[in-house]
Amino acid sequence: MAISTTPITRKTAIEVTRPRRSLSAFLQRDNVLAYLFMLPGAIFLILFMAYPFVLGIWLSLTDKLVGFSDYKYVGLANYRWFWSDSIFRQTVINTFIYGFVTVPFKLFLGLGLALLLNERFHFSRAWRAGLLLPWIVPTAISSLAWLMLFDGVLSPISWVLRDWGLVDHNINFLGDSWNARASLCLANIWRGIPFFAISILAGLQAVPNDLHEAAALDGAGSWQRFRSVTLPVIRNIMLITTLFSIIWTFSDFQLIYVLTKGGPANMTHVFGTYSYQSMAVGDIAGAATISLYMFPILAVFAIILLRYVRKED
Amino acid sequence: MSTRDERVTNLINDAKRLRYSRRQILRNGSALGLSAAGLQMVLRSSGHTLAAPRQTRYQTGGKLNILAGSYFVPEAQDFFVKQVQDWGSQNGVEVTADFVNWPDIQAKVSAAVESGAGPDIVEMREGWQYLYYEQMTDLNDLAMQVGDAAGGYYDWVTNTASVDGNFYSIPVGTSSAAFAYRISYFEQAGITDAANNFPKTWEDLFAVGKTLKGMGKPLGQALGHSTGDPASFAYPYMWSYGAMELEEDGKTVAFNKDTFVDGMNTFIQAWKDAYDETGLSWDDSANNRAFLSDQISATLNGSSVYLAAQSAKAGASTTDYKVVVDPADITHAGYPEGPSGRFNQLSSWSYAVMKYSGNQDSAKALLQYWTGADQMKAWLEAQKGYIIPPAKSLASDPVYTSDPKLAPYLDVINYGRNKGYAGPLNQKAAQVGSQYIVVDTFAKAIQNNDAKGAIEEGAKLLERIYGR
Amino acid sequence: MAMVGSNTFGRRVVRLHIPLALYAIFLHFPFAWRVIVSLKPDQDLLRTNLNPFVLRDVTISHYTYLFKETDFLRWTWNTAVVTLAATVLSLFCSVLIGYALGRLRFRGGTIMGLAIFLAYLVPPTLLFIPLSQVIAKFGLYNRYWALIFTYPTFLIPFAGWLLMGYFRTIARDLEDAAMVDGATRLQAMRQIVLPLALPGVLSAGIFCFTLGWNEFLYALVFMGTGNMKTIPVGVVSDLIRADVYFWGSLMAAGILGSVPVAVAYSFFVDHYISGLTSGATKG
Repeated sequence: MAISTTPITRKTAIEVTRPRRSLSAFLQRDNVLAYLFMLPGAIFLILFMAYPFVLGIWLSLTDKLVGFSDYKYVGLANYRWFWSDSIFRQTVINTFIYGFVTVPFKLFLGLGLALLLNERFHFSRAWRAGLLLPWIVPTAISSLAWLMLFDGVLSPISWVLRDWGLVDHNINFLGDSWNARASLCLANIWRGIPFFAISILAGLQAVPNDLHEAAALDGAGSWQRFRSVTLPVIRNIMLITTLFSIIWTFSDFQLIYVLTKGGPANMTHVFGTYSYQSMAVGDIAGAATISLYMFPILAVFAIILLRYVRKED
Repeated sequence: MSTRDERVTNLINDAKRLRYSRRQILRNGSALGLSAAGLQMVLRSSGHTLAAPRQTRYQTGGKLNILAGSYFVPEAQDFFVKQVQDWGSQNGVEVTADFVNWPDIQAKVSAAVESGAGPDIVEMREGWQYLYYEQMTDLNDLAMQVGDAAGGYYDWVTNTASVDGNFYSIPVGTSSAAFAYRISYFEQAGITDAANNFPKTWEDLFAVGKTLKGMGKPLGQALGHSTGDPASFAYPYMWSYGAMELEEDGKTVAFNKDTFVDGMNTFIQAWKDAYDETGLSWDDSANNRAFLSDQISATLNGSSVYLAAQSAKAGASTTDYKVVVDPADITHAGYPEGPSGRFNQLSSWSYAVMKYSGNQDSAKALLQYWTGADQMKAWLEAQKGYIIPPAKSLASDPVYTSDPKLAPYLDVINYGRNKGYAGPLNQKAAQVGSQYIVVDTFAKAIQNNDAKGAIEEGAKLLERIYGR
Repeated sequence: MAMVGSNTFGRRVVRLHIPLALYAIFLHFPFAWRVIVSLKPDQDLLRTNLNPFVLRDVTISHYTYLFKETDFLRWTWNTAVVTLAATVLSLFCSVLIGYALGRLRFRGGTIMGLAIFLAYLVPPTLLFIPLSQVIAKFGLYNRYWALIFTYPTFLIPFAGWLLMGYFRTIARDLEDAAMVDGATRLQAMRQIVLPLALPGVLSAGIFCFTLGWNEFLYALVFMGTGNMKTIPVGVVSDLIRADVYFWGSLMAAGILGSVPVAVAYSFFVDHYISGLTSGATKG
């Protein structure tokens, strides 16, 4: 075999080893192979997501109620109606509060925890696994624990605060709208900290120790070291995690459904629960409309996320 | 429907005027194309008694799944399961039953109806038959059979369980609401002979409540999203202060009335003075628990709190919490009155066979068996009076007459109104109920301390539905 | 931030152990509460004047109730079947998608990637009723397949995205070298790339398992009758009966229902972390 001076490209290699016009060659082409690979996933997504999604869009443009087969196209009437519906407005506000209040807490507390877990100490592996629990445990189940913790009668939190003399009667965690929102935020933060912590921890482990030592030798204090050595490395993952968290928090359903079902008096609804409630009473068109209002918001965050990630490529 | 009414009315007039015999009515009626139900109406209205209809026999086999709300009288739930499973084993049908918490029932029914798959037999509440009847098998014949065999349905049942007079589901009565209260606390609050002297007006009640709250035992009221207690309070209170969903003309929303705004303001004040303020998040179960663990002194509810206290005392506790109230200290009273009168809310529960069911014959056979007089009587007895009966002869059952303390529950049929008043309990009224528009008005008024604003918004929401 | 510099015991306690303890208390006290309640006898549960954290008596009746009076074991089986099957299915599809998007250059790659990611955003609360029609049409209602086929709709987008990032990090030369040596692309993929990507696949698999185990809405609507409940659905529906919350058993069920997932994590947490690193940061 003559030693070629031209670099062997993939294409040439294939030409050498296979006759061009066979089926397998066809299948070997990147284009074809790629679409072939994507086919199984695509089938699921088309059947069980795209089609219902389009159906949902269609429904939002009608006045359909559950159980009745005659309904008509009404254009954007539903969208206009919800725009002026006070419950919907409250829902939008709630969702933004829920998202933008919890995420900074999750970020900072998660960062703090990640920094701690990055240290070497006994049983660090067990700690890491253990502290992940709030994130791992099914939300429907942990929400029930919070339901009891927030109960107007049985709450141990109330008991402790009363025992310490800080309050004189049981706290109405879920029956007052502002208390309820705060309670929901608390449960959400509790659940989300481990996700931030583990993700940032993953990023921290990529920071080489020598950089730290070098900086320390140069006389930098821990805060300076953090800012100049650590932060640049984990900034990327912090941003990604934050964006994901915003998306998930905005589309959250289970936690709020179990704790308040959007109550009291529809005051703690987020998009997911208000949509579900509308579905439950048979207002399918309304439910679809509410969910579709959420979609562009999520898409904006998603596009920011993707753009940022693509930039880093 | 209107054509049928005309033909029926004409035939009734002819029959009365010309003194048709039973045979003539039947012949003319079927020539006009009237259904059996229509014929029955003519026969009844023209004074002919019905011959006892022959019971239809249905084929049985396969599987059946039943969806119902979870029972507040736990022994009755177990009894029901036994009833249907016994029937199932005798008839070669595998019967399963699922019980769903009240706030969640409608979601499951909606999903089943919309997807065209789900339980074969479904419990319909609060006018839901109007929402789902397109997917329900017409059961009018069976319903009439069952009802007539039990002395005939009450009018309030026909008004609230049928769809424009036609039954798509078999009525089984309903739970009614009265005030359950603690005799000893009311006496301490200054009511002499409290067992027989419950406050007569809402304002009297709130005044006593203020004293009671000062004693640490406030009144309790559920105002969350659950199908029972919240509506059982909101609608009657609204009616007793002069407002309604619709005027007599059946079209104009009659919600935003000054008398009602006044009444709401009274209630907002009372909420702070006399009620347990966590009630905004209560569903149908929370007030039971609060009452039975001695936190509140009175609440409107079905008779389940009294029954639970009795069970606990007899040692057969079925609750997972400690019942610390002696049933001897509990009694009941009907609702107080407001300036516009004294009202209660009465709806109807019924069981439907879904059209998508692959086993409709078995389902009908099961319902025919279970709603038959013997089984229904036994079931109502297992409910210990918690459910008031749909048909007249069942009301004389000792379960309703043996304990005078339970009298206020049956009494509701004398002053109860249907949701949707002054309109009928139809599809729109059912939607209003499902969306908790009236209930939320109260909750919103309390939250924002603004009666007028909440009522105006409620009126807008009502107009959206009734104006469709 | 590695601690360099002064590392005395005193400083460690203050800067490491105490904060860790605080975090541990905050993150774990709901679990501690659950354990306490699950062991507390019924009578004590409502005695609100007593210290709720102290167990005067211990009972296992809540656990036995779970096994004897409810279908808990069946729920666990259902959840396991559905979750494992959906995970396997989703991993299969996601590996292929991840490979395609991460290593193959083809027309429309960017758009497909974006589409898949946007698919992730479609909320289940929008989909569940139109989806229930689809399920009914295929005759899948109340069968395992209803969930096994619908879970991938939210598992595949995320896992695919994660794996896409992961596949990108594997050097191309390895594959090229193999193919120059005469292997087909598929062979190269199977023998070289996949083994290297195993940590990422494992990490995606754990993620899928968790999300599937956790899922509530679809399980409630498509499969929530009779003995076809999953753990989250069963716990919420069967342990709350009208006005009675069986708190003891609710908490016991919660603990037992979390065990499999927690165990899986403890074995794989390191892989999970490294999988996240590569997948997410370079995705």
